[in-house]
Amino acid sequence: MANASSLSNSTVLRDQTVLWRVRQRGRARDGLRKWQLQHVTALALIPLGLYVAATLLWLATSDQTVDDAWLASPVTALLIILFVLAGLVHALVRAASVILDAVSTLAVLKLFLDR
Amino acid sequence: MERPLSPFMFPIWYRFQITSALSILHRLTGIALAVGSILLAWWLVSVAAGGELFAATHAFIASPVGMLLLFGWSIAFFYHLCNGIRHLAWDAGYGFELRQAYRSGYAVLAATAVLTVLTWLYVFLA
Repeated sequence: MANASSLSNSTVLRDQTVLWRVRQRGRARDGLRKWQLQHVTALALIPLGLYVAATLLWLATSDQTVDDAWLASPVTALLIILFVLAGLVHALVRAASVILDAVSTLAVLKLFLDR
Repeated sequence: MERPLSPFMFPIWYRFQITSALSILHRLTGIALAVGSILLAWWLVSVAAGGELFAATHAFIASPVGMLLLFGWSIAFFYHLCNGIRHLAWDAGYGFELRQAYRSGYAVLAATAVLTVLTWLYVFLA
């Protein structure tokens, strides 16, 4: 009985230590927030992306006078700024995730947990 | 830690399947778009600056290499857009049946082709 109790205690201690080590790091800390950021920006990028792609492909083959007037309009400028911001956040969040997937899990664990 | 690991999904150990191929394509086009955003930023700066910088940038984009980059960007963009909507549907809990997943996959490919062709027809004819 005493033996079982001490085994159970050490298991609990180990689990708590692992949890404590993991909780403030990596996906356990900011996973939900990154998921939300990714999905909010993804939704915003559907209309923004369609608008930017349509105008960009059209303008890239037109002359400069059209381009100047296009970006000078406050509505256009705002939409472009929103597109760039949402696109950057989306790309950075996902790029970090792709890198984490591509780099060996053991290497990541060593880097962030094994100190 | 010598635990058994699941083999890498694609393409050596598993038979080719459209679901995994599209998933990897989604990541590749995402990376391509992130890299391509450098060109987008350059183009926006040159539009704002105007003058010779814009003329040079415009000349580059209108060149065969520039048009090829733009064409590749448009394919990556439309694919990532369509497949992204497919992913959003999955995240909302829809379309998990195998049949549905295959169908939506083919629909994404078809939509990408149609959107890309329509866009470039518009660019060249308008």
